[in-house]
Amino acid sequence: MQVRVRCKMSGKITWLIILLVGLHLLLLLAGFVAPYDPAAQNRELPYAPPTRLHLWDSSRFHLRPFVYPWSPVDDGYREDRSQAYPVHAFVRGDSYRFLGLFESNLHLFGVENPGKCLLLGADAFGRDEFSRVLYGGQISVAAGIVATAVTLFVGSVIGVVAGYYGGWIDETLMGTTELFLSLPWLYFLLGVRAFLPLHVSAVRTFFLLTCVIGLIGWARPARLVRGVVLSSRTRNYVSAARGFGGADFYLLRRHIAPETFGVLLTQAAMLVPRYIAAEVALSFFGLGVNEPTASWGNMLSALQQYSVLISYGWLLAPAAALFVTSVIYYLLADALHSRLESR
Amino acid sequence: MNVIARLSLLVCLLAGVCVAGASSAENPAPENPGKNEELQRVADTSGRYGGHLTVGQRAEPKTLNPVIATDAVSREVIGRLNADLIEINRATQQTEPALAKSWKTSADGRIFTLQLRRGIRFSDGHAFDADDVIFSFAVYMDENIDSPQRDLLIIDGKPMTVAKIGPYTVRFTLPRPYAAAERIFDGLAMLPRHLLEKPYREGKFAQAWSLNAQPSEIAGLGPFRLKQYVPGQRIVAERNPYYWKVDRDNHRLPYLDEMVFLFVGTENAQVLRFEAGETDIISRLSSENFNLLAHEGTRVSSQLADLGPSLEYNFVVFNQNDLTGKKLDAIARKQVWFRDLKFRQAVNAAIDRDGIVRLVYGTRGTPLWGNVGPGNKLWINQAISHPQRSLETARQLLKSAGFSWKTNGELVDGSGETVDFTIVTSSSNAQRMKMATLLQDDLSHLGMQVHVVPLEFRALIDRVFQSFDYDAAIMGLGGGDADPNPEMNVWMSSGTSHLWNLGEKQPATDWEREIDQLMQRQMVELDYNQRKRTYDRVQQIISENLPFIFLATPNTLAGADGRLGNFHPAVLDPNTLWNADELYIRGGLENAGTR
Amino acid sequence: MSYLVRRLVRGILLLAGVSVLCFLFTEMAPGSFFDEMRVNPQISPETIAGLRAQHGLDQPLVVRYGRWVKSALHADLGYSIAYNTPVAPLLWSRAKNTLLLTLTAMVLTWGISLPLGLWAAAKRGGVLDRAITVISSLLIAVPEIVIALALLATAARWRLTPVGGMVSSNFEELSGWEQFRDVVAHLTLPVVILVLCESAVIVRHVRASVLEVLGASYVQTARGLGISRGRLLFRHVLPVAANPAISLFGFSLAGLISGSMLVEVICGWPGLGPLVLDATFSRDLYVVIGGIMFSALFMLGGNMVADIMLMVSDPRIRTGAADAG
Repeated sequence: MQVRVRCKMSGKITWLIILLVGLHLLLLLAGFVAPYDPAAQNRELPYAPPTRLHLWDSSRFHLRPFVYPWSPVDDGYREDRSQAYPVHAFVRGDSYRFLGLFESNLHLFGVENPGKCLLLGADAFGRDEFSRVLYGGQISVAAGIVATAVTLFVGSVIGVVAGYYGGWIDETLMGTTELFLSLPWLYFLLGVRAFLPLHVSAVRTFFLLTCVIGLIGWARPARLVRGVVLSSRTRNYVSAARGFGGADFYLLRRHIAPETFGVLLTQAAMLVPRYIAAEVALSFFGLGVNEPTASWGNMLSALQQYSVLISYGWLLAPAAALFVTSVIYYLLADALHSRLESR
Repeated sequence: MNVIARLSLLVCLLAGVCVAGASSAENPAPENPGKNEELQRVADTSGRYGGHLTVGQRAEPKTLNPVIATDAVSREVIGRLNADLIEINRATQQTEPALAKSWKTSADGRIFTLQLRRGIRFSDGHAFDADDVIFSFAVYMDENIDSPQRDLLIIDGKPMTVAKIGPYTVRFTLPRPYAAAERIFDGLAMLPRHLLEKPYREGKFAQAWSLNAQPSEIAGLGPFRLKQYVPGQRIVAERNPYYWKVDRDNHRLPYLDEMVFLFVGTENAQVLRFEAGETDIISRLSSENFNLLAHEGTRVSSQLADLGPSLEYNFVVFNQNDLTGKKLDAIARKQVWFRDLKFRQAVNAAIDRDGIVRLVYGTRGTPLWGNVGPGNKLWINQAISHPQRSLETARQLLKSAGFSWKTNGELVDGSGETVDFTIVTSSSNAQRMKMATLLQDDLSHLGMQVHVVPLEFRALIDRVFQSFDYDAAIMGLGGGDADPNPEMNVWMSSGTSHLWNLGEKQPATDWEREIDQLMQRQMVELDYNQRKRTYDRVQQIISENLPFIFLATPNTLAGADGRLGNFHPAVLDPNTLWNADELYIRGGLENAGTR
Repeated sequence: MSYLVRRLVRGILLLAGVSVLCFLFTEMAPGSFFDEMRVNPQISPETIAGLRAQHGLDQPLVVRYGRWVKSALHADLGYSIAYNTPVAPLLWSRAKNTLLLTLTAMVLTWGISLPLGLWAAAKRGGVLDRAITVISSLLIAVPEIVIALALLATAARWRLTPVGGMVSSNFEELSGWEQFRDVVAHLTLPVVILVLCESAVIVRHVRASVLEVLGASYVQTARGLGISRGRLLFRHVLPVAANPAISLFGFSLAGLISGSMLVEVICGWPGLGPLVLDATFSRDLYVVIGGIMFSALFMLGGNMVADIMLMVSDPRIRTGAADAG
């Protein structure tokens, strides 16, 4: 029984890891998978809805899907059926740097100009939402994961130390977390913005995002971890190990730290998507990824306008991508957790 | 069950605490017009009494004190509770008598003699006369109060003086002739001496008429008077039964029993609550929200108005400030480009203004090539040319100014430096953010490396007005009055809003010197045609020298419940509420159910 | 007793630290309250300078801090530049509304997410467990403001509930029962948004920690001994699994004042959120600092309650804390 559960778990973990690798590969190869340059504006097509893929025209069935171009009408767009553009695989289009190594203009799919294949519609500038989701994922997912790692590392070190040693160390460290949880961070962000040069390159923005989030975010996980450590350090087996002369570091690593894995994994699965979305707020202070570079955060900030959210539902695409990513991460965290438990 | 019972008890208790202090007195009926009251008759107006109008405001007003209020929402409320000596009619954009029933100007344009209406009363029933006017101006002019209106009353560093000639006659003397001086009086609320003299003498004027003041402590000459303030929620104003206007049938205005100002918080909330029928009137709509209400709106009945181009002008300004001693060497190097007229002309030629109007304003806007837009019919210089976008022209200009292109398309200046700069703009203004993104793309076609950085509003103001730590900014100005005088401080080289180069001791260029002279001249010219010619020349110089590169102006958009009568929104602020005294709720059952 | 004294000292130190850092942070942020007037071409810099002087903004930081401490000791918490009134009453009149909202939301959040988390863990892999995975991921991935706007739009279009505010404008004319119903109707939407966003996190933590304990050897043994499932869950698993939940409960208490800021702003709830956010962006510094001090008090209280609950749930912690301290 126990063995079968474990096998099932391993299988599940394998599947999830394959999914996750696939997802990240998709983002990594954005230049190839995306049909367009994410910054290319089509000023004739603001807020164009997703292009429909057709197999049937008025007379017959086509094996190769084709699209009709959008033509603007009074309040939106209508398909212009006079000209059909078949979707081709491996086409030449906008150039990009493949994995940052060499220039290429080969794309997984596309249609001939002037046709447009906007799988997920277009944003306010007529930019292809699908391409932007793929490109945007590169910086957002990486920033989310790194920021989470930083936060949880700092948080768990402080939490473990506070919980394990207790006494005045605990008082001081927890006093500090309380201080950090109460400060007016909005003013801090304004101050940071004022100290930085106006233009910050994409790479520096990445570090900035992770540092700011890490600095603000460590306090809560620290308290959570400290609570767990407080109770686990008094467990009988820990006391026993201490009685046998186990060094602090050994005790922490061997007995205490594993107890916190559950909390940390649960936090991680939650913080990654939260931090990706946090860029919406940071970009208000000029600390986000700047236009025209795409990120899920700055794409989502368009949805803060009620009229946009209501009228152009396809702009929720980055939220959907974030949702899929976070489900996969959560399931993986959950599976890993139970595997650790059953060991 | 037990939990639910306890919970509801808790909710009950707290709710009871939160809404304490409610009042529910009946609204006062309008007094019958008396014989010795000199009331103003609004000849073309009729309506019916009753009902209340709910207005959604984006923020909570901060004070009801007309002398110290600075924020737009406070002024929106204060404007309904108070009245001025002379008003600008928002529909005609011309001045008309208000508390002063008539006025005479001396031949040299320096002395204004105003006749006040006799027999009219404040909203607490106390009579109004020349002493109140003298008192009001004493307060506005007081250096210790620092009223924002004080600056309007100081011309060329000298204050205007006011004297009481009779119980209903006052005389204003200006230090020098001043064109359209009567427009100054709009926005200077007349204060009740009998209520405010005591706090003024005690030096507590700034604390008077805060939001916590009792309604009995506050009185004004506006169509409404304070009834109730609920912190964080709303201000209720009821009819002023002594208001000084009557309609064509000699019925005393206003028609509405009550106006309710709800503090809804955000633009989104403003639209949502209008859509849900919880508010009756909405102004300063963005085009996206306007289209939403027009096409998909679920409101039972509404009337939407597109009033055409507003007076706001949006522009790009390049930092040409004197940066000596500021440790901003990187920007100082770039200023060589910014000060080059050909560089600015190239930027001007590369901008896709039609794209801005379409993508930013959803076609509910107008491209601009000068500081006066087509919304200001009295003052626009129609002769200013509207060149089409041309990247070719832009490239020619850059080439002739010594710029060239590297093989990868990057633009470099004569010394080989890459043309690379940032555009800052306010992150709370979605329209200007979009303009910046469009501009970034337009200029990238010229090989310029442009970066868009959104900044929180006050951080932006700090950079543009104080630290000068920016390359270029997208800003908007205008929207106050249609007259050229409020623009003095933008175009005078010593002006406080002379954004591209603040704090010039001397005009930095010949054309700025010429503008200085022209602006000074138009201020004293009393003849409209003469003034217009002078101001036309100013617009001409601006469009030739491009200290600002103008982008576009949004249309003025407003909406109201379908049952609201006399709804005549205007381009000038306050767009929808300027004729609050004439607004009324139409009767009948045809639109029942909207409320 | 010594524990309480220690707590008190820590609390006072914290408040002092928070207030000092608040002043430093507000100094760091560019711009000041009267900067908005600079955009108006008709107002002179002299007037702005005069107004700054009137409100003491031209004084050095130390002087302003000294004045503020004095005012704080008089329970005024400084003076609002925008409202021209002391800060404390300004905050208090809105804090009541915030507490009404957050207390209701907290009770519901915990009332819903504790049993849901337990159930999901007990029936691992079941329909409910999967539903919770999907829904909580959705609630975590989509920014709060988008969720809130979507719910508001639904409510506005289908006329389900009022879309903002705390009471209707005809509130005074209603009878007692109708007033209660009116407040509840207005309360529904912001509470739903808060509960949704908060529960997503708590359910996950409860579920994870219950699973952890269920896997532990003594529980396996107890199960082997034939102790009923319900008894096992509530008597043996829950108290041990409660640990992270207790810390989270502390956060909930700590966030009673500050946690609902965004929702209050979006829904137009007349609480501290709109006041403090508006003050933040308009640089009405003392209102911001007052709001922060107020929420720091709740933070102290919340964490203290959490610590005490940790001791009660796990008596070994107390002995440990005693011999360490």
